Amino acid sequence: MARRHTGTGPGSRIKIGGLLMASPPIIVAAVFVGFPIIVAIAYSLGHVGGLNRTIATIARGQHTVGAWDRMSLGAYRDVFTDPRFTHDLGVTIIVTLIATLAVTALAWVIAVYLRTTPEGAWFRSGVAKLISGLAVVPMFIPVVIASWAMLTFYAADGFIRSLCADLGFQGPTWGYTMVCVAIGLVWTNLPFATLMITSGVQSVPDALIEAARDAGAGLLTIVRTVIAPLTIVPTVIALTFTAIGTLGAFTMPYFTGPNAPSMLGVDMVSYFRSYNRPQQSVVMAVVVFAVAAVFGAFYVWANFRSAKDSGRV
Amino acid sequence: MSTNSVGEEQQSGLVLRGVGKDLGGRTIVDDLDLVVAKGELVCLLGPSGCGKTTTLRMIAGFLNPDVGTISIDGEIVTRVPPEKRPTAMVFQNYALWPHMSVFENVAYPLKLRRTPKNEITARVHEMLELVNLMHHEKSRPARISGGEQQRVALARALVQRPAVLLLDEPLSNLDAKLRVRVREDIREIQQRLGITTVIVTHDQDEALSISDRVAVMNSGRIEQYSDPTELYRSPATRFVGGFVGAMNTLDGELRGGADSTVAVVGGVTVPVDTPATPGTAAGDRPVSLGVRPENVLLGPVEAGASAKIIRSIPRGHFTEMVIELATATGEPTELRAYLDDRSPIARLGPGDAVGVRLHSVLSYDQDGRLR
Repeated sequence: MARRHTGTGPGSRIKIGGLLMASPPIIVAAVFVGFPIIVAIAYSLGHVGGLNRTIATIARGQHTVGAWDRMSLGAYRDVFTDPRFTHDLGVTIIVTLIATLAVTALAWVIAVYLRTTPEGAWFRSGVAKLISGLAVVPMFIPVVIASWAMLTFYAADGFIRSLCADLGFQGPTWGYTMVCVAIGLVWTNLPFATLMITSGVQSVPDALIEAARDAGAGLLTIVRTVIAPLTIVPTVIALTFTAIGTLGAFTMPYFTGPNAPSMLGVDMVSYFRSYNRPQQSVVMAVVVFAVAAVFGAFYVWANFRSAKDSGRV
Repeated sequence: MSTNSVGEEQQSGLVLRGVGKDLGGRTIVDDLDLVVAKGELVCLLGPSGCGKTTTLRMIAGFLNPDVGTISIDGEIVTRVPPEKRPTAMVFQNYALWPHMSVFENVAYPLKLRRTPKNEITARVHEMLELVNLMHHEKSRPARISGGEQQRVALARALVQRPAVLLLDEPLSNLDAKLRVRVREDIREIQQRLGITTVIVTHDQDEALSISDRVAVMNSGRIEQYSDPTELYRSPATRFVGGFVGAMNTLDGELRGGADSTVAVVGGVTVPVDTPATPGTAAGDRPVSLGVRPENVLLGPVEAGASAKIIRSIPRGHFTEMVIELATATGEPTELRAYLDDRSPIARLGPGDAVGVRLHSVLSYDQDGRLR
């Protein structure tokens, strides 16, 4: 007769042990991240009691509901009917897309260059080493310092303009513009993306690339048909992390961007602190959270697809 | 090494002339000459690090030789990159693209050549039928067995209709039984298509059983290049003798004429059944003798030089005997002999005395070259 596992069997004991070992991070995430998210969403829908009471007593322009089973979309209406918000949302999404695409493209170019440097090509291997070293430098420079460096570089009296003036023409003033913000975000996000994509591209076995060359493929064809499909997961990780990081960026746009339009990270801080309208600030956070969830879904989908492709699922 | 006339060179599928390659300050391939006739199957055989894979990679174009030329069908391709060379390679780990189906893997080279779609389908199907894999057309490489992956890799190489087919240790990842079957399949397909083929292997069995000719490599050079029978019967150097099949090596020399030949080993004379050119050692130059275990003949004590059985190892269809020759100097000289199980000697055990005669003894000079 077949014996069925009961709750006291050795198999379930192992399962419980595994669960216990995995539980600390899950509990920490649930208590310190999950719970505040729920409380904040409740606040954005007009629930001002409980843990939201303190902030609700000093906030202005609040929309409140009396019972726990009701909700008010008033704060959402406030935010979405404010042309400043919709404009900033558009700008944030555009800057995010531009920075993400630029970061991914640059990381890919670097990764392919490093991958295809022939052995013994002393000049190229020297350049390759220099590039792979330089690409991770931003990781070790605090964003505040990088922001100020960026400003002095692109300011009206900055390096670029001075150089252009010496050469006899008017250079662009990018300090306190969205261009400067985008460049700065590319700078801060490039190291992680480069590390991710480079290691992904490096892990494509030599033989697979050589087999493609042997079959008659040139460099670009190999990148398109062999390396890229096998580097989908690291690329998607780099894409989503860059996108989510850029979407909620604060320091870089706060220091180097214009007063208006500004990115939502800056708006949230202004609404929360300067305008004393925390409910509207939380609404913006929910919107950013929703957009980030789209990128997150993309990440999960890509992971699943590649697992299916290689026969793991 | 054979020298080749101009006529042979013109008909040759693949010619390497004075090819050399240094890697990391070490000479890997040294002044190598190799001529493979059209439609011939040649094995590069040698121990690891002998330069056989480097040679193959130079033929494929993945490495540029430092010196020398490579030509295929009379055209010099030394500097032609692999994507433009009329060669196709089967890699050791098959190198199938995991994100493509079996069909897409085989179709890939044709797509690059902008072959019309219906022709691609026809040719891929033809190849998959040839390697008997039509039923796996839509499978991913990870879903099929090692032997099947091997055949996909072969189909992908053959679909390109290459002038030269290259295989790098094609059977090393297969289990012993499958290996024998796949190597016969490879030989059969190769002969059917009449395709010039070079196979790299370290397995002498594989090399001897499927090649038209075998090039035995050692330290970046070809020690011998001949057909399998010749290679086994008269290994040109002591190294080849030891690497291809088993070989007893003895310090000694051959004496005598056409009617009676003896081998003198450690002061003892051992009768030799076959006439051989006697050793022409001048003075006391050391000479060594090589004799295959199946050519060490054991009989009653009075029938040959006296020896003692040390070990008897049953090997299935034959018995391997390790015997010690009673030398005058007292230095032990061990010999291995293969015996038919039905021979009465095969029933003797350690310590029993036997008489030794030799057959087809090879004599090598001090540089290890066949005299």
